[in-house]
Amino acid sequence: MRARELMWIAVLCAVAGLSACKTAPPPDRQSQLVAKGQDLFFNETFGGNGRTCGTCHPAENNFTIDPAFIATLPKDNPLFVAEFNPALKENFENPALMREFGLIQENLDGFDDLKNKFVMRGVPHTLGLRTSVQSPGGPRTGWSGDGAPGDGSLRSFATGAVIQHFTKTLNRVPGVDFRLPTEEELDALEAFQLSLGRQQDLALPLPLKGTVPKRGQEIFLDNKLGKCNICHVNAGATANFPGRGPLGNANFNTGVEDLPDQPARLTGKRVPRDDGFRTPGDGTFNVPPLVEAADSGPFFHNNAIETIEGAVAFYDGESFNKSPAGQALAKADPEGAGIELDGTQIVAIAAFLRVINVLENIRQSVVLLETSLAVSSSAERRRLLERAVHETDDSIRVLSGGGLHADAVAHLQEARRLADKAVRSVFFGRKYTEKAIRDQKRARAFLVD
Amino acid sequence: MTVRTFVLAVVGMSPLFLGAPAPSAQELTERFIPVGQSPGLSGKATVIGKIQAINARDQTVTIAGPAGTWSAKVTERTKIWLDRSMSRKTNLTGTFSDLRQGLTVEVKPDGSQRGAQSGPAEWIKVQIPPSP
Repeated sequence: MRARELMWIAVLCAVAGLSACKTAPPPDRQSQLVAKGQDLFFNETFGGNGRTCGTCHPAENNFTIDPAFIATLPKDNPLFVAEFNPALKENFENPALMREFGLIQENLDGFDDLKNKFVMRGVPHTLGLRTSVQSPGGPRTGWSGDGAPGDGSLRSFATGAVIQHFTKTLNRVPGVDFRLPTEEELDALEAFQLSLGRQQDLALPLPLKGTVPKRGQEIFLDNKLGKCNICHVNAGATANFPGRGPLGNANFNTGVEDLPDQPARLTGKRVPRDDGFRTPGDGTFNVPPLVEAADSGPFFHNNAIETIEGAVAFYDGESFNKSPAGQALAKADPEGAGIELDGTQIVAIAAFLRVINVLENIRQSVVLLETSLAVSSSAERRRLLERAVHETDDSIRVLSGGGLHADAVAHLQEARRLADKAVRSVFFGRKYTEKAIRDQKRARAFLVD
Repeated sequence: MTVRTFVLAVVGMSPLFLGAPAPSAQELTERFIPVGQSPGLSGKATVIGKIQAINARDQTVTIAGPAGTWSAKVTERTKIWLDRSMSRKTNLTGTFSDLRQGLTVEVKPDGSQRGAQSGPAEWIKVQIPPSP
């Protein structure tokens, strides 16, 4: 019996090996560049304090960090370097604001007065960058569009990030406190980041099935009511302002800094006003894409609002409607109205944003699951399946959090269970993966025609 | 300057002005990037050379590079940084008085200065040689 089992295992291994040989074509040059970029993104510390790009942009948390994720990290995680590296104890991070609100310290207005000149910002995700970075006004990186040194491009972004966040001491001496990325490394990091998430914008309206999300989409697209599509065309990151036409990814002062009771400021800790784009800043911030929003909060550059409903409600408030962007919207309105939404309408728009986020998560999950079937490396297969599990967790959380599509949630839960089994199964991973793909597609069918 | 060297200088420096530079970068981390290593800029949209002449009254500095000379106007917006990376020391913010003849500098022209031989500088990095 034992001999027969061993023989059976040997046969399966041989089949698996041959199958792997058959399904793994040699990677092309672009794939190699992306793979190199991925390795750098998650493993390269650039001789600094131990952080990698993935420290603040972890794949398992939608390439961003939030308090819930931060709470799962061990004390010696390099994110907390200011807590255990004496050279970075002062004026590098604010550990309390990092842990409670997911805020990172940035010296956007210079390094001459570290104690007083800084801003506290959330970590933007790095998904869908291909749709959001390039703009007629120049590349837009980071929350205010000016996150990169050099030519300001996404390619140059890593250089600035290493200097700001990876340094061993506040002297920031290249070759001592860190090393700067090479030209080849910048190419690879850019290729990897551009490969993440959506490669193109949606084409709204979508044939949605849910009553409330469907109404939310209508309000979103209504330039007299929600007006969302003016600055977030197709729920992306490009603007098409009345009278000014397509602007690409543009900067606006939407009044977020004027919000009362901002969480970080409620602590009594010093949180200087963030003046946004340029130095000194003009108060503007660039438009983030909305498809990825629902599972990547907290929202806005200062993580001021925790929920997607709250983020939508912001545009109905005084801070926005009195802001330069709010005033411009009102001026463009035939009746001079800003954004005036009622509670049901706010929730409907949020429901729409939740659904398009889940549709994107399902798309990504299916791609991850399908790719896992084609790779030969078991470690890579495991990584892809685990990411599919995380994406599916997000889908479940995002729909359940809005009380939406219980039927789809049931299929997503099954897809998650199967993907998780595929991670742990030696022999039946393929079968479970294929079933998980089927359940993802069934869930999708409940959301959209 | 002969006609030939003038033509060579213009041709050599033309790549600097063929495309409008990005409107704004996070120039504050730029301070810590050594001369000649600014991604996407060095060798493409900056002028690297030695300071040939300084005019304190006009607040201009003439840089002689491999492709010719360029005159940079220092305005109140121009940032001057002292690149001390060769000494493995932190880079500092400098002033016009730190610009000295013979020092190697990198200058980023402010905005698009297509075809110009002079113009305001967005930033100037001054390479400080290590002490003997």
